[in-house]
Amino acid sequence: MSVIAPNFKLSGFIQSLLDNIFWILLLVVLVGVPAIFMILFVIPLPVIDGELLTPFLAFSALVNPTRLLPIIHAFLTTDIFRVMAFPGFGFAALLAASVIFVERKMMAKIQLRVGPFYCGKVEGILQLMGDGLKLISKEIIIPAKADKPIFWAAPVLFVATAAAFVALIPVAPGWVVADIDLGLLGVFAVIGFFPIITILSAWSANSKYPFIGGIRALFQMVSFEIPLILSLLGVVMLTGTLNLSEISASQSSFPWIIFLPIGAIVFFITMLAELERIPFDLPEAESEIVAGWLTELSGMMYGLVQLGSYLKLYAFAALFVVLFLGGWNGPMIVPAFPEQIITEGIEMGPIVLTIDGLGPLLHETITQEMLNGTLWFVLKTAGVIFFIILPRGVFPRVRVDLLLNLGWTKLIGLCFINIFIALGLLYAGVLGPGGLQ
Amino acid sequence: MADIAFLALTVITIGSAIAALEMRSLIYGSIALMGTLGGIAGFFLLLDAPFVALFQIAVYVGSIAVLILFTVMLVKRELIFKKIEDKRRKFAGIGLMLIVMVSLGAIFIDSGIKTITTDEPPVDFRDIGADFVIYYWPALILMGLILAGTVTGALVLARRVDVEDDQRTN
Repeated sequence: MSVIAPNFKLSGFIQSLLDNIFWILLLVVLVGVPAIFMILFVIPLPVIDGELLTPFLAFSALVNPTRLLPIIHAFLTTDIFRVMAFPGFGFAALLAASVIFVERKMMAKIQLRVGPFYCGKVEGILQLMGDGLKLISKEIIIPAKADKPIFWAAPVLFVATAAAFVALIPVAPGWVVADIDLGLLGVFAVIGFFPIITILSAWSANSKYPFIGGIRALFQMVSFEIPLILSLLGVVMLTGTLNLSEISASQSSFPWIIFLPIGAIVFFITMLAELERIPFDLPEAESEIVAGWLTELSGMMYGLVQLGSYLKLYAFAALFVVLFLGGWNGPMIVPAFPEQIITEGIEMGPIVLTIDGLGPLLHETITQEMLNGTLWFVLKTAGVIFFIILPRGVFPRVRVDLLLNLGWTKLIGLCFINIFIALGLLYAGVLGPGGLQ
Repeated sequence: MADIAFLALTVITIGSAIAALEMRSLIYGSIALMGTLGGIAGFFLLLDAPFVALFQIAVYVGSIAVLILFTVMLVKRELIFKKIEDKRRKFAGIGLMLIVMVSLGAIFIDSGIKTITTDEPPVDFRDIGADFVIYYWPALILMGLILAGTVTGALVLARRVDVEDDQRTN
């Protein structure tokens, strides 16, 4: 019988745990707490309800919901929350992670397999966590003659670029990290970085398969960027703005896919190519060149690139939703929060429980419109992601020359047809000033 | 704040430009070139021209730099370049650059740039677009024709007769 750890002793294990706890406590008391108090001298603390938020106040507020809610409200409106949690990285990473699991399970169902099954009691629901732990605990191996600085930086840069892309996506009215006037141009600028990072990572590994994969990725991304940009010009012409929030808001009565179906189809195909997904997964063709440009990446570096590519998938799907499917617009299906609880409180027999800070929180930040918009946005994005991962179970891989031929001739031609349709709609007066909107 | 950003961008742009010229490794040189182009995009942002800045990033950093990287990676450097170590040429180059820079700076300072008021609102890119269509349309059409001619010429030059292969069917 083979045992993983033959010299295991429970007492030794408990002793090591106690040792760790002792050292952590000692270090926190001697180093951590003084460091926190030194940092607190420098950081300007927020003023909430006319009171400076000191650490003592924060701790006392933790047990009192009336005092805690304004603090939460103030935190929800900060930029750091937007960047890290809701419309930004955290939200996108959560969606991206769930996409990985859904994709594996869906592929399995399409191909009549079981898929992830044992990790977690219900249908292998903890498989992703297990994979993450495995990737974190694996050793990172750098190839012997690799160019170390670029090889280390590439996965981090990949995630950073994908996160910059995510930051431009408006999720609900007013809920966007970077609401810039030239949002769509920003998207084009960010997309341009992906081929650079890919080819640098592939070159720096100093190995054949990554380099072949990287060159394929470069060909594919650069040649499909042109139809991608051209296919979005129709929407820009009809809305007259490059701001993604305004484009989203302009589709309150109908989505642009009704008028510009060719542009939507071309954008969808170019999206598949930019994301390196089947049928355009030549850069990662596992039956020809091992794992393409990811071959030499190991451990958490591979995990970071995976995270980045799924963030990119979410961002592209969200961009499709914002430009063609109406973004957050949709019928109001989220019920309104009962006004009685905010104004009068909850009656429980003889006791009336009133919560003071609830009104401003629900009227200014987490409004009904915001919840409804987020719900519709997530539903539409999930639908688009479903159609992005569906070809993986259906189609084979295309050849390189067919791919380039498709990108350079057919798709660009279709893009121009789409632009002429948009111009025709504009000049015929169907849309734009005096038209339907 | 703007001054600090300007100084930082200047250091990044000039430093990476020098690095792009002086680096022994061509790959690192082209990465430094990307830094230079990105720094110029930052200058455009400081000048309230985000439209130009984003196009600078999308076109120069995103496409031109990729082209350079790609060429550098596919080509063996030893086959093309011979290393010439010549101190005098180097110093002559630095001297020439200094002369050009100083004379350009003198022209700029002399041109009355100090009297320009800087608190005007930024120009809207829609106005620029309208100006292009209304006042500068002959130049636009000329540019379009030249570009179309160039692309057609490139296509004609790059054309080749495909070898027929019965086993490959499109």
